[in-house]
Amino acid sequence: MTAVESALGPPGADAGGAEAAPPETVTVLADLRSHLRKSKAGISGIVICSLFALVAVIGPWLPFIKDPAAQSLPDKLTPPVGWGGTWAHPLGTDQLGRDILARLIDGARISLLVSVAAVIIAAVLGTALGLIAGYIGGRIDTLIISAADVQMAFPGVLAGLILVAAFGPSVWLVILVIAISSWMVFTRVGRGLVFTLKTSLFVEASELAGASSRRVMWRHLLPNLVSSLITLSVLELAAAILSESAFAFLGFGVQPPRSSWGLMIQQGRNYITDGWWIVTFAGLAISVVVLGVNLLSLWLQSFNDVAEREQIILERPGG
Amino acid sequence: MLRWLARRIIAAALVVFVVTSLVFVVTHIFTDPATVSLPLEATEEHRAQRRAALGIDRPLSVQYWDFVSGLVVGDLGESFWQDQPASKLVLERLPATLKLVAGATVVTVLLAAPMGMLAAWWERRFADHAVLGFSMASISAPPFWIGYLLIIIFAVQLGWVPTFGSRGFISLILPSFAIGLASAGRLAQMTRRGIVEELRKPYAVTALSRGFSRSYTIVHHTFRNVASGFVTMTGWELTRMFTGYTVVIEVVFAWPGVGRLAIHAIENRDLILVQAAVVVLATLVVLTNLLVDIARRMIDPRVELA
Repeated sequence: MTAVESALGPPGADAGGAEAAPPETVTVLADLRSHLRKSKAGISGIVICSLFALVAVIGPWLPFIKDPAAQSLPDKLTPPVGWGGTWAHPLGTDQLGRDILARLIDGARISLLVSVAAVIIAAVLGTALGLIAGYIGGRIDTLIISAADVQMAFPGVLAGLILVAAFGPSVWLVILVIAISSWMVFTRVGRGLVFTLKTSLFVEASELAGASSRRVMWRHLLPNLVSSLITLSVLELAAAILSESAFAFLGFGVQPPRSSWGLMIQQGRNYITDGWWIVTFAGLAISVVVLGVNLLSLWLQSFNDVAEREQIILERPGG
Repeated sequence: MLRWLARRIIAAALVVFVVTSLVFVVTHIFTDPATVSLPLEATEEHRAQRRAALGIDRPLSVQYWDFVSGLVVGDLGESFWQDQPASKLVLERLPATLKLVAGATVVTVLLAAPMGMLAAWWERRFADHAVLGFSMASISAPPFWIGYLLIIIFAVQLGWVPTFGSRGFISLILPSFAIGLASAGRLAQMTRRGIVEELRKPYAVTALSRGFSRSYTIVHHTFRNVASGFVTMTGWELTRMFTGYTVVIEVVFAWPGVGRLAIHAIENRDLILVQAAVVVLATLVVLTNLLVDIARRMIDPRVELA
């Protein structure tokens, strides 16, 4: 850190939100915790998301869970408990006698892997481009923002259709497609924030002190974007989980015998009259997880937006 | 206004051009339609024959020129699965997709506008929470699953409507709802938020303090100011429908539209037909965005002429 920079205090300290020095970080975390305690949406969101992540990671090692691929034709289309089924298969079995619960847990891994990987790729790529576009400006900015505009007009599913037609279905392709259909969101938001930060005192000071563009972007601008970008990532995560399920449903993603929630719906759709539970539970799993992510994102937005903090619906007495 | 319009149209045409060029890069440089369409055990001789038949043994620049000049006159190549011009096949299916999108848009607007107004009217009361609950649920559930739930409930259990296919108006109802519910959820929250913000502005406070009821002020004063945002958001929902929802929902309801054609084309390894469907859908997205911009200008003249 140069002399002028240290004279002006820690980088990013004047914009609030994402302080870099330890004491401020502690206050932000404490703030976050007390804000969370008041928000039912935030708590439910965190509980659902943690459960999802936990099940996805340790699922196969859970003690009472069956093998998701084990077929047993005599047990095929067993209804769930409460509809004439037994605890041997709490959520029933599918058309090949496989345990629905075990397959749901197995599917959680694919969902988590694909959506998180896609969002990370999109966030890193999109933020980097947004920083460059916003800070460097000029022709590079025009180029990047035009690319983002074109991407807006050429959304994920269309890119997915053409890429799957050309290269055949695969999980990696789905990750790539979701990432390229979401990077421009990070670019646009990042660029917008950089525009407003660019004229701040701390940025000008470090420029005057001779910091390189890379240093200004990395040390001064990026820390100020973190809280907004995390909120955005959570929002995009919800979209990514839905996209993954849609691609799996269309048969573009993971292939049998591996299971995925979208694929379970595709395979169960021929049995909606005598095996409604296949489609119902798989869709319910997707919906609950996406709802959890959405609640988390709603709460993060309310935490980041000070004016909104007072008003946010779910925080109201009795809400 | 005219110059603005001309600039917008040129920009839209440019976007279509870039998108179609990207599609060409994927289909002709990263892979080629002949290899994709033939089984893996096909000999090099077979591939060469197929390449010659498709004209893709020529230099890329010639092919690209053919592709672009074909686009201008609406020629999108020959489908080798159906042995017909790809553009004809896509355009035959287009009305069904447009019908579906129209139905979904009607559902969206008819649900979102009243729900948004109700939520704002009874801000922080039961109706507001109920609308928020609906919104969160509808945007969290995958549309194709909503489609199957609607089929299980209304077609299988109650038998009110046919399960799938395109048999006139009645079979349009379920798919329209399957697509429209999520859009309505997003749009209702946006409408509510817009109206609540407007109600805090001086003109609305004045109207309220002069004794106009909250509902009257919302319907006659604030909603108009939210309308431009409402149209923009509806336009975004339309583009979502064209590019995502219709594809999966057409598969769920066996609806004979462009999206299902594209899926069938993929199953039959017909790259040219997929390419044609994607080009047409992307063009629709760009057109929708253009129309939304024009509509916004007409509703709210304050929208800048950027």
